[in-house]
Amino acid sequence: MAVETPSEARAAVLAVARAELRRRHRALLLVALVMGLAGGIVLGAVGLAERTVSAYPRLVDAVRLDDVRASVPSDQPRFAEAVPTLPGVAGSRHADLWVAQVEGGPALRFLGIGAGELAPADIATPVIVEGRAVDPAAADEVVVSEQIAADSGFAVGAELRLTLLTLEDVSHFDVGFTPHGPSATVRVVGIARMPSWGNALPHTLAGPAFAARYADTASARSYFLRLENPAGTAAFTAAHSRAEQAAAATEPSIVARYVPGSLAFPRLDVDPAVRTAEQALLVGLSLFALVVGLGGLQVVGQGLLRLGAEGRSAQRVEAVLGMTRGQRVAARTLAALPAALVAGVLGSAIASAAGVLEPLGSQARFEPAPGFRPLWGLAVGGGVALAALFLLMTAGATLLAARPRGIVAGSAPPSLPRTVLRTWARRWPAVLLGSRLAVHGRTARRGLPAMASILAAAAAVAGIVAAVTVGASLTRLVETPQRYAAGADLHLVDAREPDVAALVADPRVTALATTSSATLRTSDGRELGATAVDDRKGEPPLELASGRAPASSGEVAVGPRLADELGLGIGDVLAVRGPGGEQVPLTVTGTAVLPTGSSAALGEQLLLTADAMDLVQRSEPIRDAYIYTAPGTADAVYGELGQNLEIFPREVPESVRNLTDLVRLPELLALVLTLVAGTGLVHVLLTSARRHAREMAVFSVLGATPAQVRATLAVLAGSTVVPALVVGVPLGLGVARVLWHRIATTVGVAGDPAVPVGVIAAVAGVVLVGALLVAVVPGRRAARTSPALALAAG
Amino acid sequence: MSIDQSARAALAVRGVRKTYEAGSAAVRALRGVDLTVSDGEFVALMGPSGCGKSTLLHLLAGLDRPDEGTIAVAGTRIEDLGAQRLARLRRRHVGLVFQFFHLIEHMSALENVALAALVAGARPAEATTRARDLLDTLGLLDKSGELPGALSGGQRQRVAIARALANRPTLLLADEPTGALDSDGAAEVLDLFQRLHRAGQTILMVTHDREVADGAQRRVRMRDGRMLADDEPSLVHEIPASLRAGT
Repeated sequence: MAVETPSEARAAVLAVARAELRRRHRALLLVALVMGLAGGIVLGAVGLAERTVSAYPRLVDAVRLDDVRASVPSDQPRFAEAVPTLPGVAGSRHADLWVAQVEGGPALRFLGIGAGELAPADIATPVIVEGRAVDPAAADEVVVSEQIAADSGFAVGAELRLTLLTLEDVSHFDVGFTPHGPSATVRVVGIARMPSWGNALPHTLAGPAFAARYADTASARSYFLRLENPAGTAAFTAAHSRAEQAAAATEPSIVARYVPGSLAFPRLDVDPAVRTAEQALLVGLSLFALVVGLGGLQVVGQGLLRLGAEGRSAQRVEAVLGMTRGQRVAARTLAALPAALVAGVLGSAIASAAGVLEPLGSQARFEPAPGFRPLWGLAVGGGVALAALFLLMTAGATLLAARPRGIVAGSAPPSLPRTVLRTWARRWPAVLLGSRLAVHGRTARRGLPAMASILAAAAAVAGIVAAVTVGASLTRLVETPQRYAAGADLHLVDAREPDVAALVADPRVTALATTSSATLRTSDGRELGATAVDDRKGEPPLELASGRAPASSGEVAVGPRLADELGLGIGDVLAVRGPGGEQVPLTVTGTAVLPTGSSAALGEQLLLTADAMDLVQRSEPIRDAYIYTAPGTADAVYGELGQNLEIFPREVPESVRNLTDLVRLPELLALVLTLVAGTGLVHVLLTSARRHAREMAVFSVLGATPAQVRATLAVLAGSTVVPALVVGVPLGLGVARVLWHRIATTVGVAGDPAVPVGVIAAVAGVVLVGALLVAVVPGRRAARTSPALALAAG
Repeated sequence: MSIDQSARAALAVRGVRKTYEAGSAAVRALRGVDLTVSDGEFVALMGPSGCGKSTLLHLLAGLDRPDEGTIAVAGTRIEDLGAQRLARLRRRHVGLVFQFFHLIEHMSALENVALAALVAGARPAEATTRARDLLDTLGLLDKSGELPGALSGGQRQRVAIARALANRPTLLLADEPTGALDSDGAAEVLDLFQRLHRAGQTILMVTHDREVADGAQRRVRMRDGRMLADDEPSLVHEIPASLRAGT
């Protein structure tokens, strides 16, 4: 078969391709299945990452989220009428707000209800994920948010008996009252999903008929506004501020003392915990995809390189017969085409099937379209890419096999430092040879370069250590309520002095602290929540993330998230404005995590002394009590107080609840890393006898005993994993520290990680001992292999 | 040769047979080989490809076992020795040189040579000194820190020879030591072997190259797994003209 003309060349390529296919179709199919499986999992992970990360923005689009959300007390009607006419407003929809007492529950509960215009429907329309929307003509139907449905057990079909509060009732929140508004029984007809609830958008929504029937008891009005230029909110904000100040002068509001007007920018003010969860999930899924992808590439690469090496002699014959290197590569690539198609189709199928997976963790509650959602473009494109990559790798492996054997040139690698280790290494030739092969092992033959194995193992160890450390930190946070300032067993809202005094006297109460929370304004106009704590009984713990609590009226401790946002550290000065506009400098003494109360976000509050609070508070303080009870008495206390007081058992803030959904993710990631990297490492170690067969044979020729050969491969295994552990463990701890600090700060809690020393030590021990045990297999194989045969093959 | 003579020989082979499997076929590589190499002798073992030369060499080095027959190296019967004792015998009595050098690529020339001494139990300083001396003797001291890949073929083979000599072996076995070298490299190696022979080193060199074999003291021939009669002893132990460097 001397190849001369193009037709002869084609015929030769086809003939070789057919022969290759006949001879290697099983092996090629096996490698292709691995490629398809690994590629499909990677594509599926990419699709899942896209669905997870895009859940929030897709929900924003689906609900046509408003640019601005403003609420105005109902006793300021002129201000309310002015809001939709302010500069920059392109469209608006409004709803009135009611406060209602829920009758018949286990404890006193108040509920916010919003009802009003349903049109225009292109502004702030929640997605109904269960049941249906309210009938505009029905005054007794409501939809509730998923959050309140989960927290309060309001399922579709549930009936709520309500007594609405009048304006006067609202103005007596601090001294207690009996509701004087009308009673209403409403039925939950749907569960709604929305990116942001609260304040101007209450968790319970009724229709226009409800609004019309109970119009005279509404306590505030909400506006959902679309701006002409969503990015240019400054003009609107300034105009709103002017209108608010004018209203304060001309329309003094009683309600505003307890239900102050609010202004929010839902599209801009995304809860940082959402972004954190997105980032954490994206990092986790990316790492997962990376590990699976690299593991798959390693296995596929090894397989194709081995197939290429096995065909080396055939290539030599073909070359002698006149086939060019290109023709030989083309023939083998052609032979790999059916296998490549299998890899592509399998990968594509797995990627499509991954469409059944909902967004991960907390992001699932933002999915606007639950159910099967495949990314067809990714599946088809990814399948084609997988097939192409398979062909490319086949061509590369063929080219490598066609290349003349390379030899290593250059100066000798640096000797070990002149230390005890060096002497020790030289005294035992197995140590010298094994460690040298581990670091500088052969690179031009089958398999990955030796240093790449060490680096990959180090990266895997770092990943595992980082994952278990972040996982342990997450678990500690969600299992330790005190870390998110929820150590108290019970939380009494609007605590009045007689009730507090009675609780202090109650022997079942072991500790009690009251908090006074109000808003203050910084010198640059930003409104912040501030709290003063008064320990009334026992020693209620205060969660200090760093430094100390403020001790004088000129000091403040800042929430971790706020400190990060404002760039404040201990010793810095936060300038705030007093009620009269005077500057009050507050020196930061530390970072403290305070109870979130009913509205404040975790880690965003300031801790002040009572004196400082008097100086800077902008609104009437709301007083809450946090009650610590003797073991086994919390339920009884709750049951008694719940009849007359608005009292809550321990609540988990939303940002911590989001993390609760992620607790298993680092553990899963660590498991996947362990499986994939462990498999790769075991493969590298098991094949070390074959990779270093020539060196082991030479060692035997020089007089090494079988035990020395086995020891050499054990040293090689140890020399691969020990540097990986030495580098990987501190690197992983460093990564975990940075990552956890970022997560914790965003959530609003202390950023010190929980280092699972025992787990990390176990990982290190298992890796080292496991590697040495695995090395027994190639060691025995190498010791049994005839040096003559190994040298003849090498 | 008498029993007394065999006892004094560096190498004595009697009736060695070896058959191995190649695929489904049995290949009778050695069909009753007898060979004696006396102390200080330089013997060239010749024969065409596939006649069993390399198989015999591997048996002599204890890298493989004969099916039948006896092999004595420095007076020690090796055919029944265990792997441990064979390894020890190799350290003390056998140095092996290959056609393709088989140096460890990521160790310097000095380390390659010293490794052999370390395997034999030399202290690190002693091994290094011995390796340095050998490389100096072989004219490679200035290359001692180089990796094999940076050396020419002839230089690599000289490093391999230095490694084989690191433990002052009774018997130096060389399997086509000039086969992968150009004529200058082959001349270097052959010159070295002759110098070693003059210094009293016993050498058995496998070659199929008549001109290289002419440089040996005695030539023996193999064909089809059997030893033929010895050639006439060479009277001129000089490098053949065609292999002399520069010709």
